[in-house]
Amino acid sequence: MATVNIQNIQKNYGAVKVIHGIDIDIADGEFVALVGPSGCGKSTLLRMIAGLEEVTGGAIRIGPREVSHLPARDRDIAMVFQNYALYPHMTVADNMGFALKLKKADPAEIRTKVQRAAGILGLEKLLDRYPRQLSGGQRQRVAMGRAIVRDPQVFLFDEPLSNLDAKLRVQMRGEIKTMHQRIGTTTIYVTHDQVEAMTMADKIVVLHDGHIEQIGAPLELYDRPSNLFVAGFIGSPAMNFIDGRIEEGAFRTKKGLILPLPQGVAAAGGRDLVYGVRPEHIRAATHGIEGRATLVEGTGSEIYAKLDARGEEIACLFRERLDVRFGDTVSIDIDPARIHLFDKQTGLRL
Amino acid sequence: MASVSIDNPIDETTERRSKPARLAPNYWPFVMPALLVVSAVIVFPWLFTLWMSVNSWTLGQPRTFIGFANYLRLAQDMRFWESLWHTTTYTVLSVVLPLFFGTLAALVFDAKFPLRGFLRGIFVMPMMATPVAVALVWTMMFHPQLGVLNYLLSLVGIGPQEWIYNQTAVIPSLVLVETWQWTPLVMLIVLGGLAAVPREPYESAEIDGATAWQKFRYLTVPMIAPFLMIAVIIRSIDAIKSFDIIYAMTQGGPGTASETINIYLYNTAFAYYDIGYGSAMAVVFFLIIIALSFVLLMVRARANWSDMEER
Ligand SMILES: Nc1ncnc2c1ncn2[C@@H]1O[C@H](COP(=O)(O)OP(=O)(O)OP(=O)(O)O)[C@@H](O)[C@H]1O
Ligand SMILES: [Mg+2]
Repeated sequence: MATVNIQNIQKNYGAVKVIHGIDIDIADGEFVALVGPSGCGKSTLLRMIAGLEEVTGGAIRIGPREVSHLPARDRDIAMVFQNYALYPHMTVADNMGFALKLKKADPAEIRTKVQRAAGILGLEKLLDRYPRQLSGGQRQRVAMGRAIVRDPQVFLFDEPLSNLDAKLRVQMRGEIKTMHQRIGTTTIYVTHDQVEAMTMADKIVVLHDGHIEQIGAPLELYDRPSNLFVAGFIGSPAMNFIDGRIEEGAFRTKKGLILPLPQGVAAAGGRDLVYGVRPEHIRAATHGIEGRATLVEGTGSEIYAKLDARGEEIACLFRERLDVRFGDTVSIDIDPARIHLFDKQTGLRL
Repeated sequence: MASVSIDNPIDETTERRSKPARLAPNYWPFVMPALLVVSAVIVFPWLFTLWMSVNSWTLGQPRTFIGFANYLRLAQDMRFWESLWHTTTYTVLSVVLPLFFGTLAALVFDAKFPLRGFLRGIFVMPMMATPVAVALVWTMMFHPQLGVLNYLLSLVGIGPQEWIYNQTAVIPSLVLVETWQWTPLVMLIVLGGLAAVPREPYESAEIDGATAWQKFRYLTVPMIAPFLMIAVIIRSIDAIKSFDIIYAMTQGGPGTASETINIYLYNTAFAYYDIGYGSAMAVVFFLIIIALSFVLLMVRARANWSDMEER
C-alpha cells in the first residue's frame, strides 16, 4: 500500500496534446475514481501511472519512490484491463499465479495465495478452466484475482465493468467495493459511468479534454459542482441548465420565466448566468411554476417528465405517483436552497 | 407458410415422407464419377503395389508369388536399415534447423524496421526456386576446388571441405541446402502466428513483472506453438519424402552415404528393376509415414491452446 502523487503530468502524441498538466494526490488506501467523457484521457493517465505509456512531462510518485521512468514491472502495481487481457493459453490458476511464478515464488506458496484469492472471488471451482471457457463476469473476476494475488502497492482499474450486463455490473461493483474495504489497497478506478464513481469512490477526479475539472468527495461534487461541466456530468438524470439574469431579486429568463433564488445572491445581477437545478430537486406543487408535459416516463418507482415552461425545457424526477400524461399542465416547486448558479461566460460556480 | 400447411396438410406430409425414397436411386450417378476416379488413381495403385510386394518380379522376367519373402529380405537388408537411418537423420535435421532459423527470422521480421517488406521479399525467394535449379547451384557452390563456399571459408582461415563429396559431410551438406530453401516457409507460417497472437496479454505480463525473455518464453512460445506445430508437420512430411534435391546432387552417394529410403527404393525399382522388392519397400515406407503423421497430429492437438475444450 502506498500514496500516489501525480505532479503536472503531461502527455503528447506527436503534436497532439492529450493530457495537459494534471496534479492528483492520493492518500494511502484511498479509492479514487477517474471519470470523464470518452476520449478525455482517462486511460492514458492510468496507463502512464502503470508504466505502459511514456510520460511527456511531470512526475509520478508511488510511496516515496519516483517512478515516472521506471518500466511497468518495477512499479509494483496491478492493473485490471477493460478487456481483461487474460493469458489465453493458461488456466485460471496459472493466470492468477503468473506474477508470482515470474518472481520465482515457491509453488506451494503460489497455490495457497491463488486459493485464497479464488476464495475471495468465488472462483474455486473454475481454477482449471481456460479463459475462453468462462463468462464475461467470470473473466472479470479472474482479472481481479490476478491483481489481488500480487498484493501490490496500488490497484489500477480501467473500466473493468463496461463489458458486463447491467445486473452483473451492479453486483461486481459491490464486490469490488467490499474487496477494497477488506484489503485496503490504494485504488485508482477509471470509469465513464458516474454511478460507479459515486457509489464506490472516496474521491472523484473529473477529467475533461485532458484537464481536471474538479476533485472531491462524491457528495461534494454532487452538492457543489465547481463549474458547468461537472454539474452536467455528475448526477443522473442530468441537471437542468436555464439561461437568464438576476433582476429585482429573482432569476428571469429572456422569455419571462421567473425562478426562485436563495437569499443573498442579488449581487450577481447584471450579467448572463446559468441557473442549474437537478430534476430530483423539483417537486410537484398545487401552484407554482406551470409547464406542459412534453415527455412522461414512469418506471414505477419514479416518474421522469420534461415540462415546457414558457419555452424553457425543465426535466423533473418525481418520486411520488402522479397522474401526469403527455400534454397535461403540471405545477412545480423548486427548492431555492438546492439550486446552483454559474457564470455563463466562464462556466464557473458563483 | 403456415396457411399453406393448414390448407393442405395431407399433401405436405406425404411429400415429406417420400422425398428421401425418391432421391435414393438418383444418388448414384452423381457419386459414381468421383468414386471411379478415386478407385482408379488411389485405390488401384495401392492394391497393385500391395500385390506386387508379395511377388518376385524383376522387369523382363516372369513373375512368381512368394508371399512375405520380400518383407523378410527387407528385415535383413543392411542397406535398407542404413537408408532408414539416413532418412531419420536427414528428416530430423531438416525439420529442426529450418524451424529454429525460421522462427528466429519471423521474430526479426515481426519487428518494424526500414525496408522490412523488401528484405522479407528477398528472404522468401529460395522457397520459390525449383529443387533441380537449387541443386545445380549448390552443387557448384559445394565444388571443392571451384566452389564459392570453400573460397569463403578460406577467407576466414578454414581449410577446404569436401562437402557432398565426403561420406560424413554429405548429409549435413544436403540438410544445409534443405534449410536454405525451406527456412522461409517456416518463417511465413510463424509470422502468421505472431500476427494472430493477441497483444493485450503482453501488457498484463509487463505489469505482472515479466522481462522481455520471460514474455517470449511464457507468452510468445506457447501462443505460437500451434503454428510451430503446423510448420513441423509440413516440414516433416516434406523432408521424409525428400527426393529431388538428393537425387540431383548426390544420387545417394558418395557410395551409399546419402541414400535415403526414397533413393534406395527408386534405385531398386527403376535401376535394378526389382519391382517386387521395391514395392515391399514402398509399403513399409508408407506405413512409416502414416505412423509419423499420426504422432504429429496427436502432438498438434496438444499444442492447440485456442481449442482447449477438445482435450
Ligand atoms: N496512440 C495514440 N496516438 C494519438 N492519439 C491517441 C493515442 N492514444 C490515445 N490517443 C488520444 O488520446 C485521447 C485520450 O484517449 P484515452 O484512451 O485516454 O481516452 P479515455 O478517456 O480512456 O476514453 P474512453 O472512455 O473512450 O476509454 C483521445 O482523444 C485519443 O484519441
Ligand atoms: Mg479508455
